[in-house]
Amino acid sequence: MKSNKAGRIVLEVVMILLSLVFLYPLFLAVINSLKSFQEVMTDVIALPKKLAFENYSYVWKYIDYPRLFLNNTIVTVLGLAGIILISSIAAYKLARTKSRISSIVYFLCIMPMLIPFQSIMLTVLQLAKDINLSDSTWGLGILYWGFGAPLAIFIYHGFVKGIPKEIDESATIDGASGFRLFFTVIFPLLKSVTTTIIIIDVMWIWNDFLLPLLMVNGSPSTKTLTLAAYTFVGQYTSDWQYAMTAMVMAVLPSIIVFMFLQKHIVKGVVAGAVKG
Amino acid sequence: MGKLGRKWSERFEFGFFTWPALICVAIAFYIPFAMTIRYSLTKWNGISKHPKFIGLDNFKQIFSGDANFANASWFTIKYALLYIVLVNVLAIVLAVILDMKLKSKNWLRAAFFIPYILSLVIVGFIWKFIFMQGFESFYDITGWDIFKLSWLGEPGPAFVSVLLVSIWQSIGFYMVIYIAGLQSVPDDLKEAATVDGAGPFRRFFSVTLPLLAPSVTISVFMALTNSIKVFDVILSLTAGGPGGTTYSVAFDIYRDTFQNNMYGYGTAKALILFVAVLIITVIQLTIFKRREVEA
Repeated sequence: MKSNKAGRIVLEVVMILLSLVFLYPLFLAVINSLKSFQEVMTDVIALPKKLAFENYSYVWKYIDYPRLFLNNTIVTVLGLAGIILISSIAAYKLARTKSRISSIVYFLCIMPMLIPFQSIMLTVLQLAKDINLSDSTWGLGILYWGFGAPLAIFIYHGFVKGIPKEIDESATIDGASGFRLFFTVIFPLLKSVTTTIIIIDVMWIWNDFLLPLLMVNGSPSTKTLTLAAYTFVGQYTSDWQYAMTAMVMAVLPSIIVFMFLQKHIVKGVVAGAVKG
Repeated sequence: MGKLGRKWSERFEFGFFTWPALICVAIAFYIPFAMTIRYSLTKWNGISKHPKFIGLDNFKQIFSGDANFANASWFTIKYALLYIVLVNVLAIVLAVILDMKLKSKNWLRAAFFIPYILSLVIVGFIWKFIFMQGFESFYDITGWDIFKLSWLGEPGPAFVSVLLVSIWQSIGFYMVIYIAGLQSVPDDLKEAATVDGAGPFRRFFSVTLPLLAPSVTISVFMALTNSIKVFDVILSLTAGGPGGTTYSVAFDIYRDTFQNNMYGYGTAKALILFVAVLIITVIQLTIFKRREVEA
């Protein structure tokens, strides 16, 4: 067994080295965001001689970071709240109603999971312009309701089927019905799936690029974080230190959140994939 | 309340609960989808008031001689196949190692997962920086020719770059799915195989892998749907270059519509992409579902 133990230690060391190499690109992005232009051009690997925090204050002001952060938050929260609300009530009713109409509606709700966004993106933009949802942060958030609903309904539907019907019935006897029954009795029972959906959708909406590119790219005041970082790099093609600063500022919120909620995030991602 | 009244109130409530979702899904998918079908039959620049109806001409033109579309399809197929195989094989290897009782396994799992939480566009830019600036410095230190290659400037290496960055970003996702799958393989099954004298490799191929089948189905499905739609990473990493060799189908549609103003033509391609994705996913799901074994 002794050789087995030695082997395990070697494996452990190899894996740790591998993980460091794996994350090295991110490390390089961070150190180069703190260098002057000269330093980036002469040596990418060396640590910065003097920490150039002015890169951050420059980019912060130039892209109006607080505004972008607010936009991202509005889009994500608004999108998420809508998805959770419309999907949970619909999935609940659909799972509880046994009829032809119910099956058809359920099918119509989840079928779009098979439609790739790229094959409708052009007309989505067209339609959004017609109903005045384009070029607005709020409009973008609202658009996510429909895009997020199919998967959320699918996951909720599977879960509601596992909740005994007697719970509804006893609540009905107590006089609760309709929305009140749902929100006071059923919705609290859906907590674990709701968490899963929140995790998957926050990661998706916060980082989403193509839909914001089509919808809100027109004005600096409506841009999202990723979108602004993309435009910024387009303008500063050779100023790598600013580009890396913008990149780090764009990914930092995700990494911080991940450090605190790591376990939940991994669990939610797995649950979402397995159920979806 | 009479029986009839109750039935109506039930219907009313059903509608009240389900209409909001149906309306939103229709706005996001069904109406745009119907519009896609309509515009695919027209010649339209996206601006003029009246798209000109031309029947199936767009489709005829796409299939009879659109070199861009053919190249983009070929790129997408090659990319998707390699991506699906590599990301799954590597993720299974990682998962098997990280399922062992290593002291640092929590750190390792987190480390390999982190890129997955980052936006692909940003990841593309960071890697562009590594390929363009970082590799120069690596070459100065190591003198290895691999760092001297123009990774984004030549067709072959550029393809590899796109593939590599996509795998780097998403491998953690597949890894955690396989770890979850491995944890549901009962230990006594693995032990029984050891007692029977199976070595680690035999044990993996004849016990663990067959029981991982449900995870493989999910992961291949995910890898397939994601790779066939590849767009973000190409946009920021190579922008379709060099010489248009890294255009994917999704990127080609984007180019035709928004850069070349061929709106009707672009929607026709979009419709073809939809049909292709639909057929491939259905085939894939049927094949893999049949192969799964009960644990």
